[in-house]
Amino acid sequence: MGGAGPPSRAPSSGPPPRTPPIHPMSSTPLTVEVADERPEHARRRRRPFAGGLSKRRLPFALIAPALLFMVLVHVVPTAAGVALSFKNLNTFTFSQLFDAPWNGFANYDSILFDQANPLRSGMGQAAVNTLQYTFLTTVGTLGGGLGIALLLNRKMRGQRIARTLMLTPWIVPSFVVAVIWGFMWQSDVGIVNKVLVDYLGILSERPTWLIGENSLWAITIPSIWRGIPFAMLLFLAALQSIPQDLSEAASIDGAGPWRRFRHITLPLLRPLIAVQLLFTVIYSAYQFTIPYVMLGSNPGPDADLMMTLIVRQSFSNNLFGFGAAASVLLMLAMFVWVAIWYATFRRDLQESR
Amino acid sequence: MSRRFIRLMALVAAMALSTALLAACGGDDEERGGGSGGAAAAAGDTALKKGTAVRLWIMNNGPDPVKDTERLVQPFEQKTGVDVKVELVGWDVQFDRIRNAAVSGEGPDITQAGTTQVPFFAALGGFEDLSDRVSDLGGSEAYPEGVWSTTQVQGQEGTWATPWFTEARAIYYRKDVLKQAGIDPKTAFADWDAFRTTLETIKQKVPEVGGKPIQPFGTPGKKAFDLVHHVMPFVWDAGGAELNDDASKATIASPQAQQGVKYFADLVGDGLADKAQLERDGTQVENQFKAGRLAVWMGGPWVLQSSEREDDDKWTKAARENVGIAPMPAGPSGKGFTFVGGSNLMMLKSSKHKNEAWALLKYLSEPKVQTEYAALMGMFPSKADAQAQAGEGDENKAQFLKAIQQGRSYAEIPQWGQIENAYKGRFGEILDQAARGGIDDATLSTELRKAQDEADALLAQNAG
Repeated sequence: MGGAGPPSRAPSSGPPPRTPPIHPMSSTPLTVEVADERPEHARRRRRPFAGGLSKRRLPFALIAPALLFMVLVHVVPTAAGVALSFKNLNTFTFSQLFDAPWNGFANYDSILFDQANPLRSGMGQAAVNTLQYTFLTTVGTLGGGLGIALLLNRKMRGQRIARTLMLTPWIVPSFVVAVIWGFMWQSDVGIVNKVLVDYLGILSERPTWLIGENSLWAITIPSIWRGIPFAMLLFLAALQSIPQDLSEAASIDGAGPWRRFRHITLPLLRPLIAVQLLFTVIYSAYQFTIPYVMLGSNPGPDADLMMTLIVRQSFSNNLFGFGAAASVLLMLAMFVWVAIWYATFRRDLQESR
Repeated sequence: MSRRFIRLMALVAAMALSTALLAACGGDDEERGGGSGGAAAAAGDTALKKGTAVRLWIMNNGPDPVKDTERLVQPFEQKTGVDVKVELVGWDVQFDRIRNAAVSGEGPDITQAGTTQVPFFAALGGFEDLSDRVSDLGGSEAYPEGVWSTTQVQGQEGTWATPWFTEARAIYYRKDVLKQAGIDPKTAFADWDAFRTTLETIKQKVPEVGGKPIQPFGTPGKKAFDLVHHVMPFVWDAGGAELNDDASKATIASPQAQQGVKYFADLVGDGLADKAQLERDGTQVENQFKAGRLAVWMGGPWVLQSSEREDDDKWTKAARENVGIAPMPAGPSGKGFTFVGGSNLMMLKSSKHKNEAWALLKYLSEPKVQTEYAALMGMFPSKADAQAQAGEGDENKAQFLKAIQQGRSYAEIPQWGQIENAYKGRFGEILDQAARGGIDDATLSTELRKAQDEADALLAQNAG
């Protein structure tokens, strides 16, 4: 069945900034965004071969295996998930799976409009938490990554060691990140409270991080901690490709460091920021591992995210129809985000070509 | 050109879909064929075929589950010539794996299942009704009532499992701490009031042992998968229940249930239960008791057995040598209930070797084999006569057996697992709120009301 899949597929629908000229569909044959540039692109390339049919077919033959794989791995499970979202799939009908009775829009109706349905209780809170978590994680990851990249972009002693050390959180799997931070947050013996209360004495009472409103921070901070290195790596690479003479010219004209950053560095990083923004938002909105491992299958009203809720309702409670409908709604929300993103950064992507 | 491309894609998609459909149909046919073949064999001769492989799924029972079980079934293999393939399925994934095996027909011949999961799995329709066979085991009379009921579905005919082993929760305490506090262990946990007074006295008189701080009591919170097993006994003690008698309505917001949950939550709110333990899962809190940071704790029998194992280095010397066991305290109803659970064995309908599988189930139900396996894991055998003997000769084990006599489990209905999850979420939230400065009656009542509404919605599910 694999109906649980759809959410994690969405990131692949983001367009790469540059499309390889020869076989435009080879890497992302299913993207909506690339589609409107494709005909123009394809026409330009194909015109010389317009007469030879076999040469026309060759590219399709070449991409066929990849396409087949994409259909099997992406399209079929997504379609299956969408189909399940219109089914009454619960404890009693689970064994029928795709033969379960159709339910029309009842699953969607109960999620979106049925205030009294106790099974959706907590969903509004989970949506708000997901928004907050996504916003904080994205701002923290990109801001932190850029800040550290700027610091490490200067000539200094131990530069290589510093860069290598900064990358270490990136190689730690999310699961391990959640386990480690879970220990660090423990209010009685965790290192966080040890430092804050026992060593530095900033706080007089030991706060509980894994209980109550602090728990949203307990999942956000490790997410940022893990996300920063990769953002930093990309920013660092981009910073090094910015010609030094631009800065030098500007400083001769009397521009201070802030103005040089604001008017030279930042505009040149804009395409990269755009791409990272797209991916970080989608990745964060689909976050599951960290809250699940750190706080359990039900992280409580302060840190429950859409994905933990969907997984809980689908797999622990056998409400697969309900869970599939919620997944589809989350996927649609991500489509909206991609559309907004595309409208905002369209020009940057074209200019960078 | 783009239209042609779309057509090509549609063709590929159609091909992929039809392949998937064909595969699904093939699987179906195979399942049906296997099922009827097995049934025919069951009706016919009962001779066992030598060399037949019977797949048995077990969960991680005890420290070395596969080796232990393989050793256990060795005499059976030698006697019958049946080859038992023991496969480990972790507790973290067993629910999904067993459910998928039941639905797809791709799985073992026999699987272990938690006692409270049996009705759900039975409702999937992928398991064999053992009603006609269980007389071989002595039938329902051979088991304690609460154990046998876990093989049934409430309001339905059919026996869907055979009991394998039994566990229950009891009070663990530190003998040295009680002595230092001047409390008599015989009366320390007699009833709710005594239990509370004991914790208060420990808090006042024994803040530390050997220079290390010790908390009077600790219980895991929302992370514990078995949180409901910790809270429900207090609801039962107060005369409450999870559902009404015919399991048609949830009753977790009843005044009695509220009284029970409040008693437990107040232990946290009043600082008698260490609030930091609520951040941990069940195993982590268990390790806190072993490490000597908790004076009183509620746990299952396998922890008692682990105190005798030298290689379990989670135990500190003082904690290991001073383990005491008491049955759960009696509440307003006069009874001190505990959750009694454990595991059963279920036979899959898709099994092609039902006679051999049944022979294995019979073997695993023999009192001697049950006693041996239960002892390996630190559990109790499920058969009545074997269970009665298990408490002999050891004061702590005898106390555990006493606790089991007040054992109770949940309504045997397919939706129970879902309802338990709903209750778990609310209980976790109630304890979290208690940890943040106590919980008032109105908030408690609101949370339990939500739990009740969710459970009622889950009960209202149907196949339509």
